This record gives sequence, C-alpha cells and structure tokens, in this order.
Amino acid sequence: MSASAAIRLQVETTLAKRVPAALTLKIKQAPELFSTGIEEVDAVLGGGIPRGSITEVTGAGSTGKTSFALSCIAAITQSGAACAWVDVSDALSPESAAAANIVLKRLLWLRMSAERKQRVTDKPWSRLEQALKATDLLLQAGGFAAVVFDMSDVLPQHIMRIPLSTWYRFRLAAEQARTALVFLTQAPCASSCAALSLRCEPASIKAFRSDNETALFEGQLYSLVRERNRNEGSVIARKKPSVRAEWSAETLWSRTR
Amino acid sequence: MYAILHPPNFAAQVVAQQRPELRKRAFGLIDGEPPADTVVAANKAARSLGVEVGMTRLQAATIPDVVAVRRVPEDEVSAQSILHTIACMFSPRIEYVEAHPGTYALDIQGMNGLFGDETQLASKLRQRIMTEGFLANVAVAQNYDAALCLALGRVGVSVVPPGDEAVALRNLPLQVLNLTAEQAESFEAWGLRTCGQLAALADTDLISRIGQAGKRLHSLARGAWPHLLFPIEPNFEDSLVERMELDFPVEMLEPLLFLLGRMTDTLLERAKEKARALALLRVVLNLDGGKCHERIVRPALPLEDKPTLLKLLQLDLETHPPGAAILSLELHAQSAVPYRAQHGLFLPQAPEPGRLEVLLARLRKLLGEERVGSVELRDDHRPNAFRVVPFAPPPPKRSEQPPFAVATALRVCRPPQTIGVVFTGSIPAGVFWDGQRYTVREIAGPWRVSGQWWSEANWCREEWDVRLATESMERVCRIAFDPRSRCWYVQGTYD
Repeated sequence: MSASAAIRLQVETTLAKRVPAALTLKIKQAPELFSTGIEEVDAVLGGGIPRGSITEVTGAGSTGKTSFALSCIAAITQSGAACAWVDVSDALSPESAAAANIVLKRLLWLRMSAERKQRVTDKPWSRLEQALKATDLLLQAGGFAAVVFDMSDVLPQHIMRIPLSTWYRFRLAAEQARTALVFLTQAPCASSCAALSLRCEPASIKAFRSDNETALFEGQLYSLVRERNRNEGSVIARKKPSVRAEWSAETLWSRTR
Repeated sequence: MYAILHPPNFAAQVVAQQRPELRKRAFGLIDGEPPADTVVAANKAARSLGVEVGMTRLQAATIPDVVAVRRVPEDEVSAQSILHTIACMFSPRIEYVEAHPGTYALDIQGMNGLFGDETQLASKLRQRIMTEGFLANVAVAQNYDAALCLALGRVGVSVVPPGDEAVALRNLPLQVLNLTAEQAESFEAWGLRTCGQLAALADTDLISRIGQAGKRLHSLARGAWPHLLFPIEPNFEDSLVERMELDFPVEMLEPLLFLLGRMTDTLLERAKEKARALALLRVVLNLDGGKCHERIVRPALPLEDKPTLLKLLQLDLETHPPGAAILSLELHAQSAVPYRAQHGLFLPQAPEPGRLEVLLARLRKLLGEERVGSVELRDDHRPNAFRVVPFAPPPPKRSEQPPFAVATALRVCRPPQTIGVVFTGSIPAGVFWDGQRYTVREIAGPWRVSGQWWSEANWCREEWDVRLATESMERVCRIAFDPRSRCWYVQGTYD
C-alpha cells in the first residue's frame, strides 16, 4: 500500500464515526424521472423531470409554462401519486386542470389570498411569503410526488428578493421528501439549486383557423429549451449546449371526438 | 355467588308505590287500545275478588269494589331505575333479567367485606328495596338459575348453601322454570308438579320425549344449568368525556393546551383499553359572559397519536379563537376502529394520513379555510364553476386515462381585470391593459354564453379569444364583454 493510500485510510478510519467514507467519491445514482406527458419534451429531457430535485421552468406569458406543468402533474396523478399546486396568483383554472386529465382528487390546490383592491403584480410580499411557508410545510410533511410552485405572474424583481438560502433549503427538503419541485417563473431565480432548468419560448405562431365563417383559436405551438440538466451523467463538468424541443397544445374544443 | 332480586307482580307494585291511596284497595291495571283494553296485572285484593289477568276492562268493571287503573309505562321505567340504582349499590356486576320485569341478578362474589355474609347481604338488599316502597324476593345461590327459580317461587329471603341447590328447588312448583304452554300441559298430564319430581326422572328419558329442551329443564330443576353473566356496562362512548373547571378565567391558549393535552391523553388511554382510536374530538369552552364556544376536530382517519390530535386541536383553536376568557372546558371524544393499512413496496408515494391531517390544518390556518383543498367541478356552464373540497386522496392506484393531446391551459385572472378596448367596426382592434397598449393581431369570437336566465343570478357575456401584441411580446388571452355592466375585462391568459 502506498503512503498516500495509507494516510487516506487512516484519515477515513479516524473520521468514520462522524463522516463515513470522507475521502471516497460518492456514487451518484441516476435520479428517478417523472414523465412530462409530452413525448417531444421527454425525448429531450431523457425521460422526464427528476424526482427529489428542483426543476425550474421560466418564460414570459403565453409560452406554455402552465400547460407543461399541468401535463406533468396529469401524468403523475394518473400514476396514483399525490401532488400539490402552490398558486401564488390564484390563477389555476380547474377546467384546464380537468382538461389536462389531472386526477383532481389527488391534487392539493393552495390558493394564496390576494389583498383587496390590489393588482396581482403589485407588491406580492404577503402572498409570496405565504407560498414559501406553504411549500416549506408541504416538503416537510412529505408524501407528495410533485409540488408546483407557480410564480408565473410575479414580477422577476420581486422574486429576486427572495434569499438564495430559501432555494437551498427547498432543494434539500425536496431531496429528502423525494419530491419533484417545479418552479414556474418569468425569469430564473433558483440558479444552481435547480437540477433542471427549462426555458419556454414562443414558437412559430399558429394562426387562428378561419376557413369557416368564424375564426377559431385551436391551439398553440411552444418551444422548450433545456438550459441545464445536472443529472446528465458526465464526469467532466462542462457546460452542455442547449437543446430545444417543439411541442403543441390544443384547446379543449378543437379535440376531435 | 348470585343474588336474584325479584319484585313479584311488578306492574301492580309500581302503581301501589306511585299512588299510595290504592294500597288498601283492590285494583286492576288496564292496558291496550280501548275498547280492546285488558287487565294486565292486579293486586292481591283484586285477585281475591276474582280479577284475572287477560280480562277485558268491561269484565273487570262488573266486579264491585275493584278500581281500574290505566298503566303508565313511564312510572314503570322510573321504578326500574330505582331498583337498578339499589342493585348497583350492592354489586358492580349486575344483569337485568328481561323475562321478568324489575328482576336483577347480582354477582355478589367478594362483597362479604362490605355487607357481611350472604344472608346478611340478602336481608340488607331486601330492606333497602322495602324503604323505597317495593316488596321483593331475594334468593342467593351458587347457581344463577337456581337463585332465579327460588326468587320466583319463594317469598322473602332464601339462601342456599353451595351444592344444596337441588334440595332447595325440590318443592318449588314447575312454573318457576318458565315452561311453555305445551311443556306445562305435558308435565301436568304426566303428573309432575314440582321441580323435585322432574329432577328425579332420567334425563335421557325426558330428552327422548320432549327433545333437547328436556335437558335444559332437567338441569334447571336440579339447579345445575350453567349461566354466563353478562353484566350491564355503561356505554363506552358516554365515558369518553373529560370536564375541567378553571380556578380563574384563562384568555391565553397555551395554558389551555396544557390542560387539553392531559385530557386528550386520558381519553386516548381509555380508548386504547378497548383497542379503539379517536375519530372525533369536540371541545366545548364555557366563556365568561355565559357564552359557549364549541369546536369539532374530525381527522380523516381515527388516530391513536396524542401529539397529532393535540396539534389539530391547537391549530383549530388558533384559527377559531374563543371570543372571551374561558371559565371551564369539556372535551368529548368519539371512538372508532383504528386505521390499519397494508402498504406495498411498489405503490406510489402518498402522504401519511396523520401527518397529512396536521399539514392541512396548518395550511388552513396559514391561508384560510376555503383556500386549501382539492377542486371539484360543478355541473354548470359558468366559467370558474367549481368548489373546493377537503383534500382526501384516494388510495394509491394507477388510473389509465385515454391519451389526449396536451391541452392549452388558461391562467385565470381572479378577480377579472378591467381593460379598455378600441374597436374597428364592432370588432376589438386594440386593448389597454395594465397601462400598456396591445394591438389585436388575431381574434376569434364572439362566443356568447349565458346561464341562470330563470333566476336573479342570471349572467351573460361575450367572449373573444385574442392574440395581443406589443413591440416586444405577444400573448393569447380571453377577453370578455359583460352587457349588463357594459364593461370589458380579461378573463385569463392562455399559457
């Protein structure tokens, strides 16, 4: 045995009670993935969103964040697991959730209360505070396969004021509770805490159908860019190129019967 | 040892006790709907004058000096409760003999230290009953049925030493065995009059003639028929109550929780003794000023866990605090069979019921009652027709839905935001929303929807799907026009 190996063994033996295998590299297990319910996106993500990690979905309005999250939740609730939706702006439409095939009984919906005569974008501190506390409680209680933290209507400058330590805490709690924590925001906020970072962008415009007398809104084309995926197995840490997936969503009334 | 307390002719005794003026007169007790009412009981004086049970009221009225008294069931119930109380004073284990009204069986094993030997106990019991205005026969024997037969057949106190039951029963008439009419007729035809004569027969001969009932009657006549006492026990649910008077009014919840914790612990211990859990806790707080504050905590599943129950109580009381200082408190509980579940290794993840209950209570306290739960759609065409129901996920089970294309989600504005609209002709061409001007690039509509036209809650609107654009961004929204308020607003954004 070489001298360095002997020293290493000695250090590990001394610290064994406090830190087991202190100088040995941990073998990282491939995370369990939840299917998003969208084949094109699953192909890009290698199977879906990771369990026990934070997934950050960012983008402006009408870029498909909510449709994407609802599709994920639908797939998870159909598998029999329970999910939660922390709705900072009280914007979830139950009809849309039902149209996305979510098992509504398995979805816990938490609606933050907005103050009277206050616009949604104005000073959302109390709502954000409530949402952060509620998410904390959900993660501590455990048992939820996925929690969606919907901050889509909160301005980025307000979200940026949330201390980074909150996201670190959420990351640890999600890992312990084995919960897929999904953030919906306009701009990235969780930085390195997010294991998977996705950016939603508007794709080519799908025009309203107008072959009849009246025009009809039938659906939209969306584009999803994978910015970062920490769970992609590679020993060498280097920035991966962004990968893009195009997908479409259609309105309930345009579904063929 | 068993002591049987039997008040003979109980219904007539009740009348005599309730109406002392009738004690020295002959009376018959009438029951039933007129004109088919009959005599159900009569005192000794009336019987000597010829009144019999089963006579009609008119027949009884023809006999002079006999008073017809209508039966009052309430009086019999109250008289029975008096006897019950007296029986409870002499033994903790008593059984009500349903075949004979007012009759109680007492298990007097080990009561010697308090009431002396069996004879003394029987005498004391009889005297105690007599002070209440009843006459009762008391019989004590090792065998339950022997004691019952003696109480039915002998007046006063009868005490039978263990092993002498057959001798004691020997001279009693066969009627004490509670025979059926057919059996009584048979025995009379055979010339059997007393229990001793019946006991002297060979049991096999008796069984061969009247069947298996013969075995029972033979054993009863010998005082050897076994009996399992089923003592009357207080209702378990009634015992799940804890009350506490406070020395001084309490306004803070913390000291109250200390007391509630102790009370919950006591109730839980009581429930656990019966292998049950607590399914409901009802806190009644008597407040300063005479008011009463009542809260009910009902976990989704029966719980055996004190910290969880206490936490639920705490969160509920913090969400709905009492309006004044508390003078006294009561904690009522309802028990149920504990929750048992067989978990599987490969079942999907689900919240643990106990923790979920506390989590929901915490969330309700944080956000409000109506803002936590799962959603249930209503059978209504009105947009946003839903209600929030308590979150109770069904057991983990995979459900296969038919594959559909991904649906475009609508993000709803709650409350709807008012906007300004610029028209080209009758079609919106521009929108002023949130201090910004949007150009309408594409538009679909109007979709006219209405409902509840038959009531005052009628509603109608024109909905448009619009693609709004500024120089830097584009969004697809649903805007609507309310003809009643002549107002345009954004219903939501497609995202």
